[in-house]
Amino acid sequence: MTPTLFILLSSGEREKVQMAAMMASVAAVSDRSVEVFVSMSAIQVFGKDRSPSERYLDDSFSKFLCKAPDAVDLFRQGKELGDMKLWACSMALDVQGWEISNLEEDIFDGPLGLTKFLADAESGQFVTL
Amino acid sequence: MTERVTIDARGAFCPGPLMELIAALKTRKIGDEVEVWSSDKGSAVDIPEWCKKVKHECLGVNEQPGYWSVLVRKAK
Repeated sequence: MTPTLFILLSSGEREKVQMAAMMASVAAVSDRSVEVFVSMSAIQVFGKDRSPSERYLDDSFSKFLCKAPDAVDLFRQGKELGDMKLWACSMALDVQGWEISNLEEDIFDGPLGLTKFLADAESGQFVTL
Repeated sequence: MTERVTIDARGAFCPGPLMELIAALKTRKIGDEVEVWSSDKGSAVDIPEWCKKVKHECLGVNEQPGYWSVLVRKAK
């Protein structure tokens, strides 16, 4: 059985969020379990009611990626079509005074601490972005 | 009676065509065929590879002017 893919996404730069969304969604629809832990500036990408043009931190590749499928939509599709869980870093929520309700709906499975995510990830493959 | 549908995913970038194919397969019955048109270069390799991995049947990849046509039969 293919090991679960664990992705730790901490950057809100568009190219990193896009790469995480592509990896997570394609793996999830390819009969592979995926767990994504979203922390630091990446959590702000998922703030409720943000348009794609407001979500991401700029990087040199952003101008090309506006043609690609939006990363938040890709995560949502991956969850609908495959076995994917997304966790919101409880620290990243706390420091902003945010709750899960401040994030886009139907994406996150809940808040989670890093310790639990790292413990679960011992049994799989781990990628950081 | 099996059916064939065509999805025009030309203009969508990776992994858009694959995701559109998967969403379409989900609504079909076993034996139905889905033909996806993609202008994304990677699809000609990625979609057959995905079929192999998840055990659907890729019936062919045909290059057309400006896009690829990939035909998939739902096998499970």
